[in-house]
Amino acid sequence: MGKRLSVAFQGFHPSSFLSEETARLRELAQDKKVISAVSGGVDSTVATLVAREALGDRLFPVMLDTGFLRVGEPERVKERLGMSPTSLKVRLVHASGRFLASVRGKGTAEEKREKFRETFYQVLKEEAEREGCEYILQGTIAPDWIETQGGIKTQHNILEQVGIDPASTYGFKIIEPLSDLYKDQVRMLGRHLNLPSELSERQPFPGPGLLVRCIGNVTKEKIRVLKEATKMVETSLAPFNYEQYFAAVIENKFAKGHSLETVSETASEALGLPKSEVHADVFEDRVTGVKGDQRCYGLLAGVKLSEESRETYGWLQDRLRQLQAGIVEKFPDITRVAMLVKERRGGGPLSILVRAVSTRDFMTAAVSPVPWKILKDIGQQVLKEETVSRVYYDITPKPPGTIEFE
Amino acid sequence: MTKIPVVYVKGQYNHLIVRNLKELGVESKLLTPSVPLEQLESMNPDALVMGGGPQSVRSLDHLTGELADAARLIRQARLPMLCICVTHQLLATAFGGVTGAARKPEFGPVEISVIEEGRILEGLKPSFTAWESHNDEVVKAPEGFHVLAKSDNCAIEAMRHDNSPVFGVQFHPEVSHTLKGVDLFKNFLHIVEEHKRT
Repeated sequence: MGKRLSVAFQGFHPSSFLSEETARLRELAQDKKVISAVSGGVDSTVATLVAREALGDRLFPVMLDTGFLRVGEPERVKERLGMSPTSLKVRLVHASGRFLASVRGKGTAEEKREKFRETFYQVLKEEAEREGCEYILQGTIAPDWIETQGGIKTQHNILEQVGIDPASTYGFKIIEPLSDLYKDQVRMLGRHLNLPSELSERQPFPGPGLLVRCIGNVTKEKIRVLKEATKMVETSLAPFNYEQYFAAVIENKFAKGHSLETVSETASEALGLPKSEVHADVFEDRVTGVKGDQRCYGLLAGVKLSEESRETYGWLQDRLRQLQAGIVEKFPDITRVAMLVKERRGGGPLSILVRAVSTRDFMTAAVSPVPWKILKDIGQQVLKEETVSRVYYDITPKPPGTIEFE
Repeated sequence: MTKIPVVYVKGQYNHLIVRNLKELGVESKLLTPSVPLEQLESMNPDALVMGGGPQSVRSLDHLTGELADAARLIRQARLPMLCICVTHQLLATAFGGVTGAARKPEFGPVEISVIEEGRILEGLKPSFTAWESHNDEVVKAPEGFHVLAKSDNCAIEAMRHDNSPVFGVQFHPEVSHTLKGVDLFKNFLHIVEEHKRT
């Protein structure tokens, strides 16, 4: 990112934002009570702190345990936010059964996101009624409504912008104090509010959580393996300071009809390797991307090099970029490309994907150059899971990919 | 304070243009393209920036409502103008150039070679990296425009009008991964300041 990060942010002053926004919130809410949905992420935490400045004890923070959170996360977040200086008394709502039931049998990304959103607001509405709240406060930021409006993906926290009137549908009104800001501006505001860096600099975690990293159908085993892989990837990559890094899971079912030979050929041309050393698979389950400002719910190509070439090319980020660009430019329905790190012959039916990106505002993202050795270590660990047979490294920037998979 | 509204044609990065301009001390906000000309003029803007969007503008006959309105603004507004991505293509089509399917579409980082700085690309010679996302491209620049930059895949990455401050760029100077994008906006602001004085 380099130079751009050091440019002074002349357009955003946390202190004046705070005084204007708290005045607006007081005016808007009058003497009504407000429920706030927190996740432990920086957006909802900062939004809640801004609202508390304005509303004091008329604000009720709740956290929904959707079942798609990381191992131990609901309890950890509740405890952390309860400590000084945030000192938020968060009520934990257990709803994982309802969320899992609502997405069962839904295979496409948008169906899953829509079902998640429906359940999310249904549960939140019940909580709002219990506390007598007329308003729901949420940490929506600029990319959320921009991507939803642009038809890239349905963000779970967007209603009005897609024509759903929350007042008539759910019986509450929505307040979004951060809707004009980008992530880096939210972090600045968080630092201004004395948020400890473990909260203000935390990597983003999507609202629907692991649901959108569980590509295709949702099963208990996929979610279980994904939780384990998430732990391993987060632990291994934490020291590197990438803006976002995580694991995703996909089934080893491959698209037929797509001329595999041509994809393999394009891959070998892009790398300048003999055909015999390059093999490409195209996965059946689709993944979200964005090509030419348009949502592209496309295919994922998994490229496997011979073991020896893998050792060389795994370190050469420029060549991997050429590999990705060569395939995505040539095949309009392929959105993303991943490179095989490690496999176990005769292993289970699942693949794990490792994703790591550098980004300022999450609107564009470059692939982070994870050292090949670290990727192999992750592969080694993840392959201990019986049901996993392959580990891939996603080499797609945004665009043409998105940061998350669904 | 310099006032530059950004015409919103539903592209993901349109709001980032506003952010860039604000960071450079400009008063800016998103504007829907259907704004009547009189209303636009009553706002006293010093220039216009038009963003990108998901539509195709190979022909003027089947434009979406937004882009038909944007084309009207391009023709009618007598202001310095910077058109990005799809509106760069629209600028070409609207003035008699040709937009077609890209031989090789570009997504993500692309190396841009500067042919002529033409003020808007001042200081960016010989080349810089910009991020792009497009399936179509300008195939032929309209009469009265000349080409300022190209890439390996795309022959017209930037163009300008011969004698008025109207510019089109295929790449996205507003995204943070285009590290020198801020220089392009600064150059545009200098041009706008100068135009204000004359």
